[in-house]
Amino acid sequence: MTTNQGSVDIRNVAKQYHVDGRPLNVLTNVNLHVAPGEFISIVGPSGCGKSTLLRLILGLDADYGGDILLDGEPISGTSLDRGIVFQDHRLLPWLTLEGNVQLALENAGLAKAAKRQTVADHIRLVGLQGFESVYPHQLSGGMAQRGAIARGLVTRPRILLLDEPLGALDALTRLRLQEELVRIWKAEGVTMILVTHDVDEAIYLSDRVVVMNSDPGRIVEEIPVNLPRPRDRTGAAFGDIKRRVLGLMGEYDLEVA
Amino acid sequence: MTTSPNIDTRPRWTGAVLGRLRPRLGSGTAIGLILPLGLFILWQLAATYQWVAPVFLPSPLATATAFWTMLTRQHLLNDFIVSISIVSQAFIYGSALALVLGIAAGLSRRVEQFFGPTFDTIRHIPGIAWLPLIVLWLGIGAPAKVVVIAKSVFFPVFLNTLQGIRNAEKRYVELAEVLTLTRWQLIRRVLLPSAVPSIMVSLRYSAGLAWALVVVAEGLSGLEGIGFLIFRAQGLLLTDQLVVCMVIIGLVGFAIDRIMYALQRHVLRWKQGFDG
Repeated sequence: MTTNQGSVDIRNVAKQYHVDGRPLNVLTNVNLHVAPGEFISIVGPSGCGKSTLLRLILGLDADYGGDILLDGEPISGTSLDRGIVFQDHRLLPWLTLEGNVQLALENAGLAKAAKRQTVADHIRLVGLQGFESVYPHQLSGGMAQRGAIARGLVTRPRILLLDEPLGALDALTRLRLQEELVRIWKAEGVTMILVTHDVDEAIYLSDRVVVMNSDPGRIVEEIPVNLPRPRDRTGAAFGDIKRRVLGLMGEYDLEVA
Repeated sequence: MTTSPNIDTRPRWTGAVLGRLRPRLGSGTAIGLILPLGLFILWQLAATYQWVAPVFLPSPLATATAFWTMLTRQHLLNDFIVSISIVSQAFIYGSALALVLGIAAGLSRRVEQFFGPTFDTIRHIPGIAWLPLIVLWLGIGAPAKVVVIAKSVFFPVFLNTLQGIRNAEKRYVELAEVLTLTRWQLIRRVLLPSAVPSIMVSLRYSAGLAWALVVVAEGLSGLEGIGFLIFRAQGLLLTDQLVVCMVIIGLVGFAIDRIMYALQRHVLRWKQGFDG
C-alpha cells in the first residue's frame, strides 16, 4: 500500500476567470496541506470554487497562480498518480464495466496478465464481481458509481479526488456508498480529497473538513473531526461539528435566528 | 460485502444478435404482413375480374411464370449477380473512402477546410448527372456504375462520420485526458465509438440508396443487370417481366435494409434508446 505517499501541498493558489472582460476571483490565497493517507472533505456553498480547486489538483487546468505539489513535486498535467471520481459516473457507454476499468490502465505499463488481475481485484473491491461484461446503461446509479471508483483506484494512485461522487444518488444508496468509501479508503490507504455539498457526508467520512466560502472563493476554516469510526451521525459531538460547519458556510445563522 | 444490485437480468449482454432480434421477428412480423397480403389479394382480384387489362397488369400467376421463364431460359440470375456486384463494390469503396476522409476531416479543421468547397460542389451534382461523362471515360460496363454509385454512397457517410466525431462529448474527451490517453487512443477508444451511431445510420441509408441507384444506372447504360431488364421489358411491353423485376428490387431493398438494421443493432448493443 502507499500510506507513505500521497501528501498534497497547495500554496497560495489563485484562479481567475474573465467574465465579459472583468476578472472574477474564483479562488484566492488557498493554502492547504493534506497528509499521506488522510481523508479530507471540502465543503462550501455553490460557487465557492471547490470543484475548480479539484480540477486544478487533477491537472485539467494549468492556468492558475501559486503551487500545487504532490509529495513535494509540482504537478503538471494529468497523471495516473491522481485518480478522480466525477459526479456523473462517466463510464464510457460503449465499453463494458471491465473495459472501462481497464481503460485507465492503457498507459500504466503493466503486462496483460497483471492488468487483468488488477482490474478483477478492483472490481471485487467495489463489490461488482459478476458484472464485468455489463454495459453502463444496465447498471443502477450506485453500481455505476462503484465502477467509477474502481476505475479511479485501479492505477493505484497516490491520491483519489472525489468530485461530489454521491451527489446524484438517492439517500439510501448514498449512505451505503459512504460506508463503502470508508472501507475502501482503509483497504487501499490512499489519500482522499472529497468535494461535497453534503455536510453530514463530509463529517462522517473525513479526518478533516475544509470549509470554503465564495466571493472570493477561499478557505475559511479547517475543522478536524476527531470522532472514532464508525461514527454516530446522530450523536451530540457530530451535531456540534455540523453546527460549526454550517455556521461557517453562513447557512445556520438563518435557521436558528 | 455483498449487495443485491437491482439489475435487468435478461440475457441482454450475451451479445447474441439473434436473441435481440427474436421479439421483432415474432409478433411484429405478423402485423407487418397484413398490408402486403391485402395488396396481394387486391392484385389477384384486379387480375381475376379484369379491372385492368392483362397487358398493363399481369396476374400474380403470370408474373410467377415469367419469373420462372426468366430464371431458367434467360439469364435472370446472371443479371441479378451483376447488379448485386456493382452495388457491393460501390458501397464498399464509397463508404471506406468516406470513413477514412470523414475521420480525417472530423479530427482536423484544416482537413475539413481543405476538402470543404470541393466536396460541397461535387455533392450537389447528382450521381446520375455524372454518369454520361464517366461512361464516356470508362465505357458502359460495370466500372462507370461503380464509380457513380460510390460517389452517392460517399457523401452521406462522409458527412455523418465528420459530424459524429465532432459530436463526441467534451466530458469523455476530458476523461481521456485524465486517463492520460494518447491521441491515437483518444481516437480509437473515445472519438470513433462516439461517431458510430451516426455512421451506422448513414451506412444503412446509403446502402438502400446504392441499390436504388443501380437500377437507374443500368437503365441508362449497359446491357445487363436488373435495371437493364426492367427498361427492356417496358420497351418490349413484357409487363410480366417488368413486374418480376419490380418485385425483386423491392425484396432485395427490404433485405438490405434488414441486414443493415441487424448490423446496426449489434454494433450499437451498448446503446439504450427508445424501443417504441
